[in-house]
Amino acid sequence: MKLPMPAALVRNLWMILLIWLAPCACRLYGDDTKPVTFDGPVAAIFKRHCVQCHGDSKQEAGLSLAGYDEVVKGGSGGVVVVSGRSSASRLIEVITAEEPTERMPPKNDPLPDEAVTLLKAWIDRGIRQNSESAGVAVKALGFRPSGMSKLEGPPPMPQTLPAFEKPKTVRPFPVLALAASPVAPLVAFSAYEAINLVDSGSGQELGALAFPEGEPHVLKFSPSGAVLLAAGGRPVQSGLAVLFDVKTGKRLAELGNEADAVLAADLSADERRVALGGSGRVVKVFSTEDGSLLHTLSKHTDWITALAYSPDGKLLATADRSGSIHLWDAATGGVVLPLAQHKGAIRALSWRADSQVLASSGDDGLIVWWYVSRGWPLTSKANAHPPARPPGVYGKLAAGVVDATFGHQGELGTCGRDGKARLWADDGQEQQAFSIAESAVAQAKPARSTGVPMLPTRVVFSFDGRVLIAGDSWGRLHFWPTAKDKPPE
Amino acid sequence: MLARVIEKLVQLALLIGIGISVPTGLRAEDPSEPEGSPVPSFRRDVMPVLFRAGCNAGTCHGSARGKDGFALSLFGYDARGDYERMVNEMVGRRVNTAVPEQSLLLLKATGAVSHTGGKLFASDSEYYATLLQWIEAGAPDDAADIPETSGLQLSTNRLLFQEAGASTTLEVRAVASDASTRDVGKLARYFSNNESVAKISADGQVTAVGPGDTHVFARFSRFTVGVEVIVLPAEAGFDWPNPPAFNFIDELVFERLKNLRIAPSDLCDDETFLRRVTLDLAARPPTVNEYQAFMADPASDKRDRKIDELLADDAFADLWTAIWAEQLRVIGGNYAPDATYVKAADAFYQWIRKQMRTGRPLNEFVAEMVDASGSNLTNGPANLYTMLVHKPQFEPKAFAADFSQVFLGVQIQCSECHNHPFDRWSQDDYYSFVSFFTGIKRKPGVEPRERRIYWDATVPPANHVVDGRPMPARVLGGVKPVDMAGDPRSALAAWLTAPENDLFSRNLANRIWAQLLGRGIIEPVDDVRASNPPVNGPLLNALANHLVQSQFDLRSLVREICQSRVYQLSAKPNTSNVRDTRQFSHAHLRRLRADVLLDSVAAVTGVPRRFNGFPEGTRAIDYYPRESGDTEGPHFGDPFFSTFGRSSRATVCACETKREPTLSQALHMAVGDTVKDRLGAGGEVKKLLEMKRTPRQVVEELFIRALGRKPTSEEGTAMLELVGAAAADESVYEDIFWSLLNSTEFSFNH
Repeated sequence: MKLPMPAALVRNLWMILLIWLAPCACRLYGDDTKPVTFDGPVAAIFKRHCVQCHGDSKQEAGLSLAGYDEVVKGGSGGVVVVSGRSSASRLIEVITAEEPTERMPPKNDPLPDEAVTLLKAWIDRGIRQNSESAGVAVKALGFRPSGMSKLEGPPPMPQTLPAFEKPKTVRPFPVLALAASPVAPLVAFSAYEAINLVDSGSGQELGALAFPEGEPHVLKFSPSGAVLLAAGGRPVQSGLAVLFDVKTGKRLAELGNEADAVLAADLSADERRVALGGSGRVVKVFSTEDGSLLHTLSKHTDWITALAYSPDGKLLATADRSGSIHLWDAATGGVVLPLAQHKGAIRALSWRADSQVLASSGDDGLIVWWYVSRGWPLTSKANAHPPARPPGVYGKLAAGVVDATFGHQGELGTCGRDGKARLWADDGQEQQAFSIAESAVAQAKPARSTGVPMLPTRVVFSFDGRVLIAGDSWGRLHFWPTAKDKPPE
Repeated sequence: MLARVIEKLVQLALLIGIGISVPTGLRAEDPSEPEGSPVPSFRRDVMPVLFRAGCNAGTCHGSARGKDGFALSLFGYDARGDYERMVNEMVGRRVNTAVPEQSLLLLKATGAVSHTGGKLFASDSEYYATLLQWIEAGAPDDAADIPETSGLQLSTNRLLFQEAGASTTLEVRAVASDASTRDVGKLARYFSNNESVAKISADGQVTAVGPGDTHVFARFSRFTVGVEVIVLPAEAGFDWPNPPAFNFIDELVFERLKNLRIAPSDLCDDETFLRRVTLDLAARPPTVNEYQAFMADPASDKRDRKIDELLADDAFADLWTAIWAEQLRVIGGNYAPDATYVKAADAFYQWIRKQMRTGRPLNEFVAEMVDASGSNLTNGPANLYTMLVHKPQFEPKAFAADFSQVFLGVQIQCSECHNHPFDRWSQDDYYSFVSFFTGIKRKPGVEPRERRIYWDATVPPANHVVDGRPMPARVLGGVKPVDMAGDPRSALAAWLTAPENDLFSRNLANRIWAQLLGRGIIEPVDDVRASNPPVNGPLLNALANHLVQSQFDLRSLVREICQSRVYQLSAKPNTSNVRDTRQFSHAHLRRLRADVLLDSVAAVTGVPRRFNGFPEGTRAIDYYPRESGDTEGPHFGDPFFSTFGRSSRATVCACETKREPTLSQALHMAVGDTVKDRLGAGGEVKKLLEMKRTPRQVVEELFIRALGRKPTSEEGTAMLELVGAAAADESVYEDIFWSLLNSTEFSFNH
C-alpha cells in the first residue's frame, strides 16, 4: 500500500503540530506530562472549600466530596462531574456562577481562578483518581507490623533522628498530646509542627520529630515501644495519622486524609490497624499494611473525642463530644455495647492493662471505671476535679476531667480544669493530688501576662509507673514522683 | 538500664522534693509578652467584634445549642462562658496563642477555611487586627473590675429629610460604667423599622427612601437606641387646612400631621358621632329615642354632654370590667383543680366591676391586687395570684412575665434566657423582678374550693440562670433591691403605681387610647420596647400625664379623648392621608368586639341572648367563661365568641382579642341562628306595623335601629320598591332588617 505522503513527512507534521500546541496547553494546565488526578490537588480543593457541608458529617443535597467514589457518584440531584466535559458538569457551573446566591461555596469569595482551572482540567481529562488511572491501586506502605512479639535487644530509644528546623512560634504550643513509652524512659509530647522527645527520668531533651502536617493531637506508643503513632493536622483543613519508627525517627506509614485535624486515634496492639476520628463524627479504621480503609464506624452523633484499642486487641472503645461511648469488635467493626453515663463531652478513654476495665472522663467532671464485659460502671467519681470558687463567682464552674490514663498497677492518673493532676486507686479512692501551678512556681518560670489561663491538658505515667507527668496549655511538662517513690520520712 | 533510671529518679526526687520540674527543652524561657499597643480587652474589644460580625447572633453560634459544635451566648450575655468556650474548651484550636494567625477563630471569620457562616471580614480589617492582637497577647481574660458598657449615645435622636435619597451618618458612642465614652460606630449593628422610609447601612449611614416616618436603631452590647426619621413628601400641592384644636390631644396630633404633610379628615357628622361614641362607651348602638333626641338637640355642646351621659352609665363600667377581666384571665371552673373555682372567679369579677362602677383610681385598683393576700373566695383581688397564670402550682417566672406584660406592657420574658436583644432589660432585671413573687404560696382554706394566698418569707429569691447568683427583689430599671425583710409586694405595688412610674401610666394611657382609636400609639400595646417606639411620643406622654394629673381617673381620660377632634374625625380619607395608618389623621374602621356585636344584635332585635351558667338577661359584656373542668386552656365559653374572636384568655396577650373579619363570621351572620332567629322573635317589626306606620317610616326606623342613621334617598327608594304592594307583610321588613344586620356598616364602628 502506498502512503499518500512519505511517512517521514507525516511524522514531521505531527511534531510541528505538537510543538505548536504545547505552549498553549502548558499555559492552561501547567505541566502537561503530569495528569491532574483526584488524589492530591483536586481532593485538596474539595477539602479546603467544600467538605464542611459536603463531607463525612454533613451531605448537603446528598452530596459528599470527601472521596473519589462519592464525587463520581454525585448527589441527590444527580451527577456533578461529567468525564471529559467540564462545561456540562454541575460542579463547574455552581462554582463559577455569577450570581453570589447561586455560587458555591455560599457566603464566601469565589474559588480562586487556579482552583477552577485545575478542576476543569481534571474533569476534561477524564476525572482520574490517581496516576495509575486503572482503578484503585493497592497502596503498599511498606510497614510490617511487629505484633505483640517481644523485640530483641534493648528497649527502643531514639538514636539518630532526622534533623529539621522547628518552626518559630510566638510562645510554646500547648501540650495537646503526651505519651510515654511502655518499655523505656521516653516521653513524647506535641509542639507546633513537631513532636518533642524527652527522657522521662531526667527530663533531658532527646530530639524531635517533624510533623509538618500541623498540630499533633494524639501520640501513642505501640506495646513494643518501637512505633509511635502521631495523629492530628490543621483545624478545618487537613488531618492524618503517621507512624514513626522510634529509633530512627523514620516515617513508616501515613494514614487517612481527613478534612479536619484528627482528634482521636489509636494503634491496635498487633499494630495492624489504626483507628481515627474527629469532627467528621465517624471512626475510620485503616490497615497499616496497605493503607486501605477497613471499616467506617458510624454511630456517633457528635465529634469523636477519644478512642482506644483494648490491650488484648479485642475491643475498640470510641467516645464523642455529646457523652456517648461505643464499644466495637476490633476485628470486624461490629457493634458490641454502648456505655451511657456521661452528660458532657468525653475527653479521654483508657484501658486497664488486663482489658477488663475501661476508664472514661469528661467535661461533666465525671470519671467512670467501666466493667466492660457487663457494660456497667464498676465505680464512678463525680466532681473529680472540683475547681476552687473565686469569691463573688456563682454558678457552674468548668470542672472537666480532661485526661485519664491507667498505670500498670491499675492506678488511674487524671488531670482536670481545676489545675490539678490526681492519682486514683483501682477502687476509685483518691490517693494524691498535684498542682501544676505549684509545680510552675517550682520551675521558677516568669509569669505570663495576667488573665491567661494555665490548664493541664494531658497526663501519663512513666514506663515504670514511678513518675506522673502532665502537660499544660502553656506548653510545659510537670513531673511528680508517685507515692511509692516518696522517700521515707 | 531499668535500675539505672530508677536510681536516677530517686535521686532527683530526693533532690527537689515532691515537685520536680524540668524545662521542656523547647525554649529555656517564656518569651516576654509583645509590647507596644495596649492589649485588647476580651469584653471591651473582642466581644464587640463577635457581636458586630454576627458570630453570636441567634441564627449562628448564639443559638441555644450553638452551631457546628461551637456555642456562644446570644449577643454575648455570658462573657465568662464565652471566654471559656473560645479559649479553654478546646485548647489551641479556636485560639492558638503559639501561632496566632492559625487560630480557627481568625481562619473561619475570614473565610480562609470552610465556614458555614461564610466570610465575615477581611484579614486587613480592623476587626481582624483586634482579634489577632488579643491572641498574640496570649488571649488574656479581663480583670474582674473592667468597666462595662452602661449606655449608648447617638449623635441625634431625630432626623428630618426633605427628599428621598438624602443621607447622613449616625455617630454612636458607648458609655462605660466608669463614665468614659468611645466611638463604636464600626462595632454597632444597625437596623431600620421600615426600609421603605429609611434604610441604614452597616456603618450607620441613614438614607431616605420614601415619604413617611420610622425609626432606625443602633445596637451595641445590650443596648438598642433609636433615632426617629421623617422623610417628607413633596411640598407642592399640600395645604395645611389648619383645623381648630378642641384640646391638647388635637394640638399634639395635628402638630405631628403638619410636620409629616398629612391633612386630617373632616369632623364626622352627628349621626356617626352618636353611634361611634355610644358603641365605644356603652357597648351598644344608640336607641331610636336617643337618636331622635340627639339629632333634635340644637346646642353646640351636645357632643360633650352625650359623652358625660354615657360615662355615667353603668354600661361604661361594665364594658371596662369585661376588658380587665379578659386581660386578667378571669375564668371559673366548677371542678377546677386549683383555686380557680367559679366562686373565686365570681368574687374577682364582682370586685373588678365594683371598682369600675365606683370610679376607683386605676393605680389604687392595681395596687390592691398586687398586694392582695387571703382567701380566693372572699377577697376578690387576691385572685390575681390564681388567675393571671392558671397553673396547679404558683409559677413565679411565668407570673412575673405576664404581670409585666399586663401592667407595664413590657415583655421581659425574653430576658429569662438571655438579655433582651432589642430592649434595655437584662437577665439581672428579669430575675430580680421574679423575686417579687418567689414567696407567693397558696394553702388550703376551710372549704375545698378555698385557697389562701400568702407570702412565705422563708423562700429564697430567684437565682440567676447563668451563674446561679441569688437575685433579691428589685423593681425594673431600679438600682438597689427593695427591702426583703417582709413581703416585698407592697414595695412593688408602691413603685408600680406611683405617678413617677411612666412605664405604668403610659401603658394604661396607651391601652385606653387603643380601645377608643383602634390602634395604640405603641402597637401592639403590650410590646413596649426600645425598638418599638411610640408613633407620637409627646402625645403618649401627655395622655399619661393627664392620667396622673387626674389621679388615674379612667373616665377623665376617656372624656378627654372622646372630646378631641381627633376622636371625632371622619373615617373618610382625603388625598394626603389615604395612606396613613398610624398617625390618627382619620378614624379607623373597627370591627365591633365580639361581645359588643352580640349585645348589639340583641339590642336592636329586642331578643336577649342566654349564656350557660348565667341568669336570663345577662349581656355578653357581663359574661366570662365558666367551665366544667380545669381552667388552664383556651376558653371562649360560647361558640359565638370563638367565631368572632373574643379573647380565649389562654394568655395575657392583647392579641387574644381579635378584630379581623373572617368568612365564617360573615356566614354566621347570614345564616347562623344569632340573626335569623331574632328577626321576628322580638316582635319589633310587628310592633312598628301595629303602630300604623307608613312603609317609609318603618324602613327609616329600621335603619336608625341598626345603623344609627336615616337611609339615603336612593336607599329609601330602593327599599320602598322592595316593599311594593306587600306593605303589611312583616316578612318583607324582616328581610330588610336582615340585610341591614348583615351589612359591614352594622358590624363595624366607623
